[in-house]
Amino acid sequence: MDPMDIVGKSKDDVSLPKATMFKIIKEMLPPDVRVARDAQDLLVECCVEFINLISSESNEVCGREEKRTIAPEHVLKALEVLGFGDYIEEVYAAYEQHKLDTLDSPKVGKFGGIEMTEEEALAEQQRMFAEARARMNNGASVQRQSDSDRSLDG
Amino acid sequence: MRQAGTYSAILSGGVSGRTGPHSLPLARIKKIMKRSGDDVKMISGEAPIVFSKACELFIEELTQRAWMMTLQGKRRTLHKEDVAAAVMATDIFDFLVEMVSDSNGTQMAPATKSNISVAER
Repeated sequence: MDPMDIVGKSKDDVSLPKATMFKIIKEMLPPDVRVARDAQDLLVECCVEFINLISSESNEVCGREEKRTIAPEHVLKALEVLGFGDYIEEVYAAYEQHKLDTLDSPKVGKFGGIEMTEEEALAEQQRMFAEARARMNNGASVQRQSDSDRSLDG
Repeated sequence: MRQAGTYSAILSGGVSGRTGPHSLPLARIKKIMKRSGDDVKMISGEAPIVFSKACELFIEELTQRAWMMTLQGKRRTLHKEDVAAAVMATDIFDFLVEMVSDSNGTQMAPATKSNISVAER
């Protein structure tokens, strides 16, 4: 990649949403601290470059393992190799949490990774109970596992 | 160095120790990944999720280190130079040296590991 392209702002460049990035940045700092516009932009560019770096390494890790798809494990390995081993624990925890959140369950299926409000979660639970009841009443042969054990944590 | 109180909760918090879900958009991350090289393999649906968290941690660390530079300068506004100084002072941020030095318009030699002194002012 031409070095100039790294900082370039051509219309083909893909970047990260500034608003989200800015929120993350602000949360690290005391409330009265200001962040200059050029510093914000630079931080965003650095993050994109970080993705490039880890992606390249992940790609290589994937190739060395003779796999065709870059999987989370390759990314974790790349982080370690490039000196970001400190991140692995938290990253892995987030990944595990995400897997839990998206288990084959209609409770969170259509909401993806977005947190539900309590009302939404309760409504969803009621809906599931109603469905289960309906199935029981219809004498369906396939019974779903009882939901009573599955409490709504998180 | 860090304020206690509001921020200790966030700083010592676990995976979701922040005030709200600030996830980076997965599709965008995937796009950037695909453009990171000429021969990028297929990307699993879960890889961007891992990246999202890693990016958060990266930005937090870079911001934190830059902020330390701001404090050293006894200022309350974090400037580009602080980000550059943080990059120079941190080995694992070597890959950013060119980027921050280009931004500053300073001529920098290619990064040599651990040999860069903090010369940014």
